[in-house]
Amino acid sequence: MIATDKTWPWKLLLVAILLVVAAGTWGAVQKIDYQWRWYRVPQYFLYHAEDPQKIPFDGVVDTVKTSGKTTKVSLISENEEKLTLTIATDTLRVDEGEDLFEGDTVGFIKEWRLGPLMLGLWTTLWLSAVSSVFALFLGLATGLARISKNFTLRGLAMIYVECIRGTPLLVQIFLAYFFLGTVFNLSRNVCGIGALALFAGAYVAEIVRAGIQAIPKGQTEAARSLGMTAFQTMVEVILPQAFKKILPPLSGQFISLIKDSSLVSVIAITDLTKSGREIITSTFATFEVWLVVAAMYLLITSVLSQVVYYMERRFAISD
Amino acid sequence: MIKATNVVKIFKSRAGVVRAVDGVSTEVAPGEVVVVIGPSGSGKSTFLRCINGLEAFTDGHIIIDGVDLADKKTNINKIRAEVGMVFQQFNLFPHRTVVENLTLAQCKVRKRSKKVAEEKAYALLKKVGIHDKAGEYPSRLSGGQQQRVAIARALAMDPKVMLFDEPTSALDPEMVGEVLDVMKQLAREGMTMIVVTHEMGFAREVADRVIFMDEGKVVEVGTPEHFFTNPTEERAKLFLKQVL
Ligand SMILES: Nc1ncnc2c1ncn2[C@@H]1O[C@H](COP(=O)(O)OP(=O)(O)OP(=O)(O)O)[C@@H](O)[C@H]1O
Ligand SMILES: [Mg+2]
Repeated sequence: MIATDKTWPWKLLLVAILLVVAAGTWGAVQKIDYQWRWYRVPQYFLYHAEDPQKIPFDGVVDTVKTSGKTTKVSLISENEEKLTLTIATDTLRVDEGEDLFEGDTVGFIKEWRLGPLMLGLWTTLWLSAVSSVFALFLGLATGLARISKNFTLRGLAMIYVECIRGTPLLVQIFLAYFFLGTVFNLSRNVCGIGALALFAGAYVAEIVRAGIQAIPKGQTEAARSLGMTAFQTMVEVILPQAFKKILPPLSGQFISLIKDSSLVSVIAITDLTKSGREIITSTFATFEVWLVVAAMYLLITSVLSQVVYYMERRFAISD
Repeated sequence: MIKATNVVKIFKSRAGVVRAVDGVSTEVAPGEVVVVIGPSGSGKSTFLRCINGLEAFTDGHIIIDGVDLADKKTNINKIRAEVGMVFQQFNLFPHRTVVENLTLAQCKVRKRSKKVAEEKAYALLKKVGIHDKAGEYPSRLSGGQQQRVAIARALAMDPKVMLFDEPTSALDPEMVGEVLDVMKQLAREGMTMIVVTHEMGFAREVADRVIFMDEGKVVEVGTPEHFFTNPTEERAKLFLKQVL
């Protein structure tokens, strides 16, 4: 048989299937008479804020100096205090010499601000990043303890891994917040990061253990026969090789961590998911917001996948 | 240089108890080349691995340069730095280039500067004939080249003794010669060597002494001439008949 590498029929089929799915979804949505309000979504990414600038005392407008888009308004109080406010020119509300009372608005400062979706995204990102770093070190330590010769270390590591893997993350987050958080007086962010790090750490430990055990024994023997200590052998010879092997499962674990971080919204941490929920209560754009939130998670995880793919190719030079 | 007295190594496994090395005593003088031969499973590798502490022996004493490995206070890492080992499977570090394979332990164990270590590495690579591959990763090298790098890596530590565990057994036949040539040169330069090998030609040509082991015991010891022409023990005769 002659090998054929015609792929276009399959590509066409793929596109057709996707179109059918999209059309089906669209048709179904039409039936339930949902009012799409996409125009409401962008303001939750970025909005133009107007902050009123108010006079803090009773006084007079001394001078109004306009230079382009901004205007400087100098104010003098009844007891000769001076104050200059900078506002956007097109929001100027006062004239030179005008008498003002305390709390009167002179004008507005206009400024682009990040909306709740971006703030939520940021929270999700840093929460996941900090948890990942802790999880990596915790997992590394636990993974090493799992294969150590010391029975106590092995036992501790095993109990930790089994307890974490045998209970749901949601329950762990509740335990961390309502039990540990109350007992040790921890903030919700600490509890959230702690729970995520402990959870991911247990899985990272298993990945690390498998990775180290996959390195042939001869590597350790060669390093030790050169006089290197067990620690030097681990750091210089075993871990660099193991790390290359475990990079794909490890990155999968961290991608999971990003997604699992959505669960911390239950302890009132305003991450991307919680922001989404809050926006829905004020817009009722349920479909749009959840779709956007999903797309944002997808975006972060795909970027991470790409970075890992790039790293894997870099490491492949010694193969 | 090396003095082994009554070395015993017992492996306990589910299958039972194996006396892999069973009361081996021998002495190796500086500059001497000792070849250890014997049938598979006779404990040659295990004995060799006991000498540099890769295997903790059950009983007996191994004294290297006046230091007893059986002594709990002995720093095994110090001993290992003086005892180079070459493995059947090369065991080069695949994530490091050839020259990095040679410099790693020099820097970490001998605390040499990178510059000094690299000079040493290039000199040794030249000696084993692969200085043009210094920047390559081990996976790009042939088996014979890898084994020569492994020898150079051990030599870079300036060991007092070199142990070889079947260094040519994993090689394609056409590459055996290049590795044996390096070993012969080392022997000529006066390196103290203990070589486990099935290369009888090498044993005959280079060995000062041949040790024949079977079932964990030293069965016969002698010069190559004596051993290959008129061995006294039945088991040695039988073994020679099979391999020659
Ligand atoms: N880690 C181990 N655990 C249990 N038994 C072992 C172990 N290593 C070696 N043995 C046993 O010890 C005996 C000696 O093994 P050894 O590897 O020293 O033989 P050898 O002479 O080097 O053989 P070969 O020529 O095949 O390499 C064998 O019976 C082997 O099964
Ligand atoms: Mg062997």
